[in-house]
Amino acid sequence: MTEATNRKKAIGADLIIPLAGAAYAVYYVWSVRDFPIEAQMSGMILAGMLLFLVLLYLVRIGVGLAAGRYGMGLGDFLGPKETRVSRGLFFVLVLASVYAIGHFGFTLTTFGFLALSFVVLGIRPVGRAILVAAIAALVGWLFFVVLLGTRFPMGPFEQLMQAVF
Amino acid sequence: MDFSLGSFADLFAHAFSLWWIIIPAIFVGIIAGAVPGFAAHNTIIILLPLTLAFNVEVALTFMVALYCASHLGGGIPAILVNIPGTGGAAATTLDGYQMTKKGLAVRALAVSFVASVLGGLISSLITLVALPALSQVGYYVHSVEMVVIMLFGLALIASIAAKDMLKGLIAGVLGLLLGAMGADHIYATPRGTFGILELFDGIPLVPALIGLFAVSEALVMLEEKSIVEGGTANVGKVTWGETFHEIFGAFRHWWNITWTSILGLLIGVLPGAGASIAAFVAYQQTQFFSKHPERFGTGIPEGVSAPESANNGVTTGTLVPLLAIGVPGGSTAAVMMIVLQFHGVPFGPRLFVEQPQLAYGVIVSMAVSYILMIFTIFPMVKYMSRITVISTLYLAPFICAFTLVGAFVPRGFLFDIGIALAFGVLGFVARKTGYHVAAILIGVILGPLIEKSFLLAMRISGNDPMVMFSSTIGNILWVMLVATLVLPYVFKWRRERRAGLEHDRLVESEG
Repeated sequence: MTEATNRKKAIGADLIIPLAGAAYAVYYVWSVRDFPIEAQMSGMILAGMLLFLVLLYLVRIGVGLAAGRYGMGLGDFLGPKETRVSRGLFFVLVLASVYAIGHFGFTLTTFGFLALSFVVLGIRPVGRAILVAAIAALVGWLFFVVLLGTRFPMGPFEQLMQAVF
Repeated sequence: MDFSLGSFADLFAHAFSLWWIIIPAIFVGIIAGAVPGFAAHNTIIILLPLTLAFNVEVALTFMVALYCASHLGGGIPAILVNIPGTGGAAATTLDGYQMTKKGLAVRALAVSFVASVLGGLISSLITLVALPALSQVGYYVHSVEMVVIMLFGLALIASIAAKDMLKGLIAGVLGLLLGAMGADHIYATPRGTFGILELFDGIPLVPALIGLFAVSEALVMLEEKSIVEGGTANVGKVTWGETFHEIFGAFRHWWNITWTSILGLLIGVLPGAGASIAAFVAYQQTQFFSKHPERFGTGIPEGVSAPESANNGVTTGTLVPLLAIGVPGGSTAAVMMIVLQFHGVPFGPRLFVEQPQLAYGVIVSMAVSYILMIFTIFPMVKYMSRITVISTLYLAPFICAFTLVGAFVPRGFLFDIGIALAFGVLGFVARKTGYHVAAILIGVILGPLIEKSFLLAMRISGNDPMVMFSSTIGNILWVMLVATLVLPYVFKWRRERRAGLEHDRLVESEG
């Protein structure tokens, strides 16, 4: 890699939010196209403002690219290479826990999510990871569900406890 | 009823006699503030049966103490793990978390607690004296002024929170547009919802807060083994002597705390403006008048004291419109209104005529709550700061497990946990690319409010857009808004020009 390439600021990731925002603004305007003008007004103004700001930003990026100050790389967007796999798996576990909580309830999902996350992220020994996860899930259940009466998603564990006590 | 010094002394004595309800309320309030999703009003709603069972004075004292403590509690996770417990603590993350990363968590917490307690105490004492005058402020602010105030607040946040103002503005306006999702205010027709039924009421705020701050922070946090730069070796064990040294040291910022709490009080009086705007305005003003504005954002105590004192100044402010004109200044005030209604207590001017001891007693309870917090909260600094030595490998899963489920609480929809996750991804991208998450969040909060005020102003004027420039206060605010957007560029240009001239002079003298 040349020194000139190294000096270029990677702005590929910087474009995600403006482009996603612009796409949403266009969709928003499309979604109000049949409304009476009074109901369209505020959304149109906001979408117009966002599109104008994104246009300004893209012009700035274009000038930077033409001048060789910017490159289209992702830079350090995904963080250190050596932990990418474990962090990726952690994100998959987060997604899985969001899906599972409706079926298994707060306590079991929290236990499963914590135990697997600790193991995936490299906490050893595994026994300690499982123990910490179990204690945390039980304390969470005691504090939020039993003590504060919070409406967390119910599952087999909560139903069993309700039946027992 | 004429209120003498003796009457106030009686009210204070009576409030102190309710310590048995204030102290538990403080602890519940701190937890409610520190856990995203458990805002004060949610907690009061959960405990509503309890508050309805008390007599009206005890119920109000309980709610007021819980409310004050929750504003203080919101700053704790903001400092320690970069996750504001409430929207009002978003500005505290800017310098508070930077101090933690430098291994100065004890100092940051001490400054935060002193600023919160002192700020809340000062603003409640001022309110006590100036209640009749303060209650008039709300009459001068109409829908036009509210639109400009909110735009002004958003512009401030965009210019402060993001290092690049254009990116800050994009983040803020994107937040506004996301906040304007859902049924429109006139015809109740859904807009920008992708046809998803759960979004017809708009973006729920708690999942947005949890996603933008908690989930995204957990994902970013895992890139390092420790929160503290250079590892936990930089965080030594703190003695009691050092803890109290930091607490007493925090009192050096008393002047900054005083005027930012008054600023918070004045902004709090405006219905809808809220703690988040007050905290950012206080931060920006402190930076503006500082001798070293360039150090803000790098982890300095003034960057913690200003937003925290303003945030707590707002607590009294939001009660003023409720007590004086019967309009709740915020969601917690609205819940208090319901309790007052249940007990058959009148609002507005009638409250001051029929039950003045109750009207003034609420503010006195607030002052007493802050006094009692000195003895209950300050010793906790020593222990709370130890959270920074926990490895991120434990912290990140804990944060995700216990905050994501909080998104479920307000509406009871599993879908809201998905919203929190989506905002978590948005927050991750924003953090990694310099679009500050606070600007997006404040946009989401203000989106529906600004739209409501805008539409109201337009309807009243018969859809004449010039109504936005029709009031003197509004026009002054417009000028301030433009100045907020333009002045940073002017100052930057002047600094660069001065540095250039200095450089040329040095080259010449060396030549």
